[in-house]
Amino acid sequence: MASRCILQIALLLSFTTSLSLSYDLLQLQQQQRSSNSACLKLLRQVKGKPEHCQQDRMDFKFPEEIKQPRPFQKEMAALVIQEMLQNIFVIIRKEFSTTVWNKTIVDDLLDKLHQQMDRLKSTILQERPEDTNMTTLRLKSYYWRISRYLTARENSICAWTVVQAELISKFPIINSLTDYFQD
Amino acid sequence: MMLSSHRAWAIRLLTLCLVVYVSLALDSPRISPDDPGEHCNFKVTFRKYRLILLWELKNHSIVPTHYAFEYTIMSKPEGMKIVKNCTNITSSFCDLTDVWQDMHEMYIPLVKAYRGTALLVQCAGSIMTTNLAIEPPDFEVVGSADHISVTVSFPSLAPMVYKEDLRDHASLVIEEHLENNVKRHEPPINGSFIGNFSYVLNDLIPNTNYCVSVYFESIRFTPTVKAPLKCILYQPGQESVAVAISIVYALRQSGYVSLHTNFPKALIFKNFVPWTVPDLPLLEDVNTVEVCYINRKKKVWDYNYDDESDSENEASPRTSEGGYTMHGLTSRLLSQIPTSSATSQASHPEDSADEESEEPEEETQPQPQPWLPAALGPSPGQRECTSESCERTGGLPQDLSFGDNDSNSTEGSGGKITFNVNLSSVFLRVLHDDPEDSEEASLVLTPPEETVNLEESSQETESSLLVAGGEKLQVLFPSLPPKCLWTGDDLSDESDTGSSDVDDVRDGYIMR
Repeated sequence: MASRCILQIALLLSFTTSLSLSYDLLQLQQQQRSSNSACLKLLRQVKGKPEHCQQDRMDFKFPEEIKQPRPFQKEMAALVIQEMLQNIFVIIRKEFSTTVWNKTIVDDLLDKLHQQMDRLKSTILQERPEDTNMTTLRLKSYYWRISRYLTARENSICAWTVVQAELISKFPIINSLTDYFQD
Repeated sequence: MMLSSHRAWAIRLLTLCLVVYVSLALDSPRISPDDPGEHCNFKVTFRKYRLILLWELKNHSIVPTHYAFEYTIMSKPEGMKIVKNCTNITSSFCDLTDVWQDMHEMYIPLVKAYRGTALLVQCAGSIMTTNLAIEPPDFEVVGSADHISVTVSFPSLAPMVYKEDLRDHASLVIEEHLENNVKRHEPPINGSFIGNFSYVLNDLIPNTNYCVSVYFESIRFTPTVKAPLKCILYQPGQESVAVAISIVYALRQSGYVSLHTNFPKALIFKNFVPWTVPDLPLLEDVNTVEVCYINRKKKVWDYNYDDESDSENEASPRTSEGGYTMHGLTSRLLSQIPTSSATSQASHPEDSADEESEEPEEETQPQPQPWLPAALGPSPGQRECTSESCERTGGLPQDLSFGDNDSNSTEGSGGKITFNVNLSSVFLRVLHDDPEDSEEASLVLTPPEETVNLEESSQETESSLLVAGGEKLQVLFPSLPPKCLWTGDDLSDESDTGSSDVDDVRDGYIMR
């Protein structure tokens, strides 16, 4: 009798937890998309003109396994998103120049990126995997090349214009990975 | 001292002016055809499910004769790529559906404007995939009895944008506008945008003007382009009127309904004079019968059955066009009967049973057996009663005679006439005064042979025409006098085409 009650309570709790988690994931998904749209709008406000900076173009070699669509688990997708947002945050905070960016715009952008990273940590990434896989390592290398490029070009307008285009072009990948939250 | 200070100020002022002038000169835009600048406005759109790049020169005074389009990407340090279909073109747009297929890429287009062989200007820009404007689809709005139907036209194949199905990046939205209120509909569409899609707007207010707009909405492609509003006045029941009008039009076109203005004379009531409908004749009215006196010699049948005699003395029975053998009787009204003689003549009676039955065999066409009264001979010809001499008769003429060769002779006793009738076929006709109004009712029956006693029928006050049908006598044409016997003028042995006073010789009929 008691075991039956305990079993029913456990089932009810698990059902409720899954429902709440599904609701949280759906909400997280919507928040992620909204944050991405806001970041894109801010990134487009770089003062440079891409058509004038063709001589500064650079192939930073984004990891193909992330660019090409393939099934991701929810935790892995969140981990990749987290890695990307974190590196973007670091690059902009370290390398931004007032000649290229408006400081208000930069602060707003950094704030949105931080909020999104906190949501991921509080939901899916509560228990982050101990092993860092190859995907995240390749991501780290990719963003390190971008940072080194900006330093070498002394944060010129054209360098930031090239980086701007590179960062903007990778936000749709973040949106695609967000779809794996509801697996 | 003061002079040196003044000179110093002048020199500083000149230097400042020079610096300003030089800076202005250096910053002034120089339009060089070799330097691609922002001389064009670029716009990328998804129109008719095709990726189209449009450009427009900012300086409208420059009118090139043709363009050349090239492009490159920002992600890699690659050279310009030429688009084959967009080289040496006169239009200011280029279809890049199968060229630009990476939505994560930033494209750098380059447009060269020429006049002849001279390069006028070069335009460069940057196109982000998120700048794509998806134009709305074509749609129609149709009002029905109780709803408004919105039909959206999709292509036969799934539309692709950057090599991906549009359905994965955009959703269809239908907006219902009512004055200041906008109701948004997101119809569920299973699968891709293929074929025609219909959506019904219900719960509408009658006699209200509704406007509808359709567009694609996408999260990735931020510009949303809405279709122009299409408005319709919602009137329940208007469809039935339209259907009725279309049916009438179709009937008119097919000829079932003829709307002519040239009416026949009968329908022209311009000179219409009201006239009263004449009273219908009473049922008891007796049709007039014309009795014609024919002074003619008539061969008396001597009951000789010889073939020679028959052939010599008797005229060949006149066969009508219908193959009937005609026999007729002439009768005379009582009022016109001369005291001296009766001129009625009748065909001689014959043995109709056998011989007459053979006559149809001689005919070329198979016809029913002609009806031959036993007391009547063949009548080669007959004539109709003229209106002048025809009077009403209510009884059998007393001078009715048969087989009277002499026109002046009378036969018969006391108005009693007896003749045998072969009722194998009966041909009857009702005669009236006016030949034009004569009713010719022909009825061919195959009654059994029977002898008809005219004496009995002569006593009848009411005229009736008896027609034997099978074993039963049927009364037809009750208005006909029963004793109107009529014969043609060729009861004699003369030929049919002989002395006939009537030009129109018709078939013989016997009325009893």
